[in-house]
Amino acid sequence: MAWKNQGGPWGGGGNGGDQGPWGGRGSGGGPSMPGPPDLEELLRRGQDRFRRALPGGFGGGRVVGLAVLAGVALWFASGFYRVQPGELGVELLFGQYLRVTTPGLNYWLPRPFGQVITPNVERTNQINIGYRGAADVGGIGGTRDVPQESLMLTGDQNIIDIDFVVQWRVKNASDFLFNIRDPEPTIKIAAESAMREVVGQTTLEDALTVKRQGVEERTRELLQSILDEYGAGVMIADVKLQKVDPPAQVIDAFNDVQRARQDKERKQNEAMTYTNDILPRAKGEAQRMIQDATAYKEKLIREAEGEANRFLSVYNAYVQNKDVTRTRLYLERMQQILKDSEKVIIDKGGTGVVPYLPLPELRRRSEQPAAGGEGAPK
Amino acid sequence: MNRPILVVLGLLVVAVLVVASSALFVVHQTQQAIVLQFGNPIRVEREPGLKFKLPFVQDVTYYDRRILDLDPPVQEVILSDQKRINVDAFARFRILDPLEFRRRAVTLANFRQVFGGRLNSAIRSEIAKVDLQDMLTGKRAEVMDRIKDLVATVAPEFGVEVVDVRIGRTDLPETTSQAVYNRMRSQRVAQAAQLRAEGEELKAKIQADADRQRTVILADAQRTSQTLRGEGEGVRTQTLNRAFGTDPAFFELYRTLEAYQGALSDGTTMILTPDSEFFRYFGGSAGTPGEAAKKPQR
Repeated sequence: MAWKNQGGPWGGGGNGGDQGPWGGRGSGGGPSMPGPPDLEELLRRGQDRFRRALPGGFGGGRVVGLAVLAGVALWFASGFYRVQPGELGVELLFGQYLRVTTPGLNYWLPRPFGQVITPNVERTNQINIGYRGAADVGGIGGTRDVPQESLMLTGDQNIIDIDFVVQWRVKNASDFLFNIRDPEPTIKIAAESAMREVVGQTTLEDALTVKRQGVEERTRELLQSILDEYGAGVMIADVKLQKVDPPAQVIDAFNDVQRARQDKERKQNEAMTYTNDILPRAKGEAQRMIQDATAYKEKLIREAEGEANRFLSVYNAYVQNKDVTRTRLYLERMQQILKDSEKVIIDKGGTGVVPYLPLPELRRRSEQPAAGGEGAPK
Repeated sequence: MNRPILVVLGLLVVAVLVVASSALFVVHQTQQAIVLQFGNPIRVEREPGLKFKLPFVQDVTYYDRRILDLDPPVQEVILSDQKRINVDAFARFRILDPLEFRRRAVTLANFRQVFGGRLNSAIRSEIAKVDLQDMLTGKRAEVMDRIKDLVATVAPEFGVEVVDVRIGRTDLPETTSQAVYNRMRSQRVAQAAQLRAEGEELKAKIQADADRQRTVILADAQRTSQTLRGEGEGVRTQTLNRAFGTDPAFFELYRTLEAYQGALSDGTTMILTPDSEFFRYFGGSAGTPGEAAKKPQR
């Protein structure tokens, strides 16, 4: 009960001389005699408590001072920050860029005096142009084409449908953070402009086929030079064409050209098949013809030789006895001939026989294996 | 008694802090500021850091120091060859003189509307000088540079610097696009038809060639076979002639007898008289010389 000895502005020691409006009721005994609550005491207690709350007070001030000191220490300690691998720490003092720090545990004055920003400088970021991938639409569904971005004019005034991606990294942390207000939309819009400029100088055929890599490279270079002009502090790692197609409305006709090419090849193959079929067969037939002719020739030669030899053998025999051989040959042969044929022998000196030849009958009979003819009896 | 002094000290510290917070201000790396006194601009702070001003009396407005975007809406533009295209251009600019900017535009939104209109009219005037094919060549970059130069002359009035002007999309209006699609389609249709016709032509040619070769092969073979046959017959005739020629008279008998046998086959009816050689001994054992008897030779 410290208030007992304190001389506050509201009067001297609390014990004596209580000539308040309430008289001397219960004040004589002091604090050791707890009587009914004294309003004045209450007031005094409240006043002194109020006093304690004011700074500059003695004992109560110490607690407050300690609290303030603790707060300041905490505030100072909040200046510690960690730079993750792949990040850089950018330190500002009163909003002014001072320097860059490396990964690890670092210290810098906390707000409102200092500020630290830790951009990621190693991560490769990707922008999709011409389409939205699953990541862009929140992981729902597959890709969706964006025709306003993907359709563009080619050098020969045709229209082409191109989806491409731009991969970029932070090259200079302070430039990236402080030079452009919206770096990523700027990269995207500059990329579209660069791609259209490059495609605008390429023919449709080239863009679909041989010049794809050239387009990627030239766009990357152009985009990089634009962004360097802006001081974006960004490095374009890659520009990749994802899909290069004729527009959807004409893609059928284009595919038909492919099919026609294949048809043309197919027709050629059919013709070659035909050729490979008939020529060997013709050659085979030719061979057969020649073989047959050769065989025939050989046969004739041999037959002739055989016939000649047979004749010569007979002749050699004949030469040894000509008359006998001639007669024998004649008789043998005639015997054979006459044996198997129908004969009618008419004596020239015959009497009054009129030779009547029933030729039709004879013909008929010769066609049938019938009995022999009848001639006039001699 | 140090209590009143402490109280006064405390009050003093509070007062100092309050005044300080009104006299100090921070310009961030991304910002620039104008100090105003009773609404009138007094000075410009373009560099970042901790700055001082008169407390309470003076105020600060901030402007962005970075490169800002200006993207006016797409507009249809007529080229020198009367063709129309939809041009979507964009610009990048920086506020160099915040005082001037404040005077002319006050807010960014207002600036974008006004300056955007200027940009679009510069685009219209420059594109009207070229034709569509030019836009599809290296001239596109020249056009962009000229637009940028045009707009850059107006920029200082607004206290801005035009960093870049670029043309993004140059697309054909819908009807023209359809016409282009039709053209692309019909070109491809014609190409496909030609390819197929070429295919047919090649096929016919190759097949005709094969037929021709086949005919030649067979004709050659025919010729060779006829030659061979002829040779065979020639040798046969030679051989037989040589053999038969040793005694033509005997050959005649020999061969005729063979001919008789071959020609006068079974069933032939023969009317004979008994005075052929065969019937020589028919009348008697002495025999009569027949008409057909051959004189003995040698």
